[in-house]
Amino acid sequence: MNARVLLKKIFFPLIVILILFSFSSADAHAANKQAHYTITTDTTYPPFELQNKNGKYVGIDIEILNAIAKKENFTYKLVPMSFNSGAQAVLSGQFDGIMAGMAITPERRKVYDFGTPYYKTGVIVAVAKNSKIKSLADLKDKKVALKTGTGAAAYALSIKKKYGFKVTYFNDSNTMYNDVAIGNTVATFEDDPVMKYAIKNGTKLKIITKPANSGYYGFGVKKGQNKELIRRFNSGFAKIKADGTYNKIVKKYLGASQSEFSGSAKTNNSIWGLVKQNKDQFLSGLLKTIQLTILGIIFATILGVILGLLAIVPNKLCQAISGIIVYIFRGLPLLVLAFFIYIGIPSLTGHKLPAMFAGLLTLTLNEGAYIAAFVAGGLKAVDNGQMEAARSLGLSYWQAMRRIVMPQGFRIIVPSFINQFIITLKDTSILSAIGIIELTQTGTVIISRNMQGFRIWFIVAIMYLVMITLLTFFANWANKKLKH
Amino acid sequence: MTVKVSVKDLHKSYGDNEVLKGINLDVQENEVVVMIGPSGSGKSTFLRTLNKLEEPTSGEITINGSNLLDPKTNLNKIRENIGMVFQHFNLFPHLTVLQNVMLAPTELKKADSSEAKKEALDLLDQVGLREKADAMPAQLSGGQKQRVAIARALAMKPSIMLFDEPTSALDPEMVGDVLAVMKDLAEKGMTMIVVTHEMGFAKQVADRVVFFADGYIREQGTPQEVFDNPQDPRAKDFLDKVLNV
Repeated sequence: MNARVLLKKIFFPLIVILILFSFSSADAHAANKQAHYTITTDTTYPPFELQNKNGKYVGIDIEILNAIAKKENFTYKLVPMSFNSGAQAVLSGQFDGIMAGMAITPERRKVYDFGTPYYKTGVIVAVAKNSKIKSLADLKDKKVALKTGTGAAAYALSIKKKYGFKVTYFNDSNTMYNDVAIGNTVATFEDDPVMKYAIKNGTKLKIITKPANSGYYGFGVKKGQNKELIRRFNSGFAKIKADGTYNKIVKKYLGASQSEFSGSAKTNNSIWGLVKQNKDQFLSGLLKTIQLTILGIIFATILGVILGLLAIVPNKLCQAISGIIVYIFRGLPLLVLAFFIYIGIPSLTGHKLPAMFAGLLTLTLNEGAYIAAFVAGGLKAVDNGQMEAARSLGLSYWQAMRRIVMPQGFRIIVPSFINQFIITLKDTSILSAIGIIELTQTGTVIISRNMQGFRIWFIVAIMYLVMITLLTFFANWANKKLKH
Repeated sequence: MTVKVSVKDLHKSYGDNEVLKGINLDVQENEVVVMIGPSGSGKSTFLRTLNKLEEPTSGEITINGSNLLDPKTNLNKIRENIGMVFQHFNLFPHLTVLQNVMLAPTELKKADSSEAKKEALDLLDQVGLREKADAMPAQLSGGQKQRVAIARALAMKPSIMLFDEPTSALDPEMVGDVLAVMKDLAEKGMTMIVVTHEMGFAKQVADRVVFFADGYIREQGTPQEVFDNPQDPRAKDFLDKVLNV
């Protein structure tokens, strides 16, 4: 089988299927006349938001939002992502609102407009169950764990000097609780109802202070925007408060143990039980990862080959353009690039970017820059006499490139390509930060519900290894076929 | 007689280093010109300017009546008409011997593929390597590679052939086969410009021998004139050294 047949038979149909698959679900609501919003929530903030055993988001925030949407006759798409990223994405215009146990603070009021405060809260300090720390004063020179961007973290920072403690940051509540429980950090600042709920559900921490800095949670939108959404929220909230729906929701979650939502302890004890129980989520995470990887590889290869060729054509301008692009995108950490594209660009242009698009663009630019570097290297490694011989026969530069130099150059860099494909697969995990629920994010979300960190990460790790093995196998097979 | 190649006051510099210092040379149709001279004298560079693998700094080159240095000239068209054979063969290692020979005619649509294949096999026959048609270049000896390279250059049916030290990279016992192919070509009337250190070939085959030194043509004439009675002291010195080993 030669390269062209391989491309036609396998790669092109695959691309088409994947692209259709990626963007087909895009706007099912477009035809609907109802107002439609995109609202972000935290991946894990029980009892306000958590995933139930079917992978569906539930919690006080979620049900309030749902009840209000029904009363006010609007629809919305819920996008769970880490609280801090979600909060920024609202400000950049990626989301219309945030419903994520967000405390209303004076700082936030400067950039967000909030709906009617819907839940009273305060900040408490929690320590490991067996800890000797009894008060804020005992925290002197010790390290405490904070969740990035939360009101509790802001409160902790405001008293940090007074009590002389140090801080470290987490993006996800469960990882943070675990860190305190195993003793890496001695205490955490957290919202009162959230901590109480976690402790009730088996988190091995205890609360040592009274709620301080009490305030309210609010539904937030970017300041000056989405006035209609806030009006609907307030009107709906008044209705569900009046008819008792609100009280029913709060009671349902505060009265229940988490296992009612997240499945019994029994299934959590075996790895196989966890796989079976979460198979739909794992499968969808896996598919997303595969989708990102394959499309990422394809687009990055196209970009990389183009940039690599530009780097070696005898034209200073082309070389400079390629050089600058490679320099920038190879120099930027993937995470920074992802945030820049997903959160930065929409705040400049005012247009939303779908996370999947931003994620693929990130992978394409970053991996493409690496591919460009070794494509240029491989093509330069082909003896100059090959080009001279081809040109002396009357072939044009591009004919000589295509028939003589590229086939030889690409043979040299096949191992680099395979290596880059594996790196791309692993790099997709970083895109969990912009809310793409790929395999890594799936793991985080499942753990936030069932606290089975070791077992779930074990399963996720095995899944990555299997994929990498298959990918390597496929790449080597394709390589052999290409060499006929 | 038709002038195939005409060069006037050709200069070539690499930075401050001038390697061709005003070359004038006309080559007639069917003529075999052999260029000799010490290493670094500029003869290979000169040969490579004739199909513009090297860009001259100044001067004029006319090939079959077309001005090679005019930017409007279609360089690829001119190159189709000038075959070139390199010291290190430069066969395409990822293609078979047959594919090496067929590549240019098919890529440039000079022939459909069955026609090109037939012609390629005839050319391989001519250089004595038809049975190697399906071999990869790596499986050939140096002498065989160079003969394939000659067949490849001939596939475009050029009217001029350039040879850049075609036997310098060969083991001594391989040299004869390659020279025999070149001699055969000369007898068939090909216009040839050959850079070589094979004085025997020059004496036997050349219509004219051109002696290069320090970027100048110091002496030229028939083989008898140049080898038996050189006038230029540099030529005398060089020939003393290479002929009386």
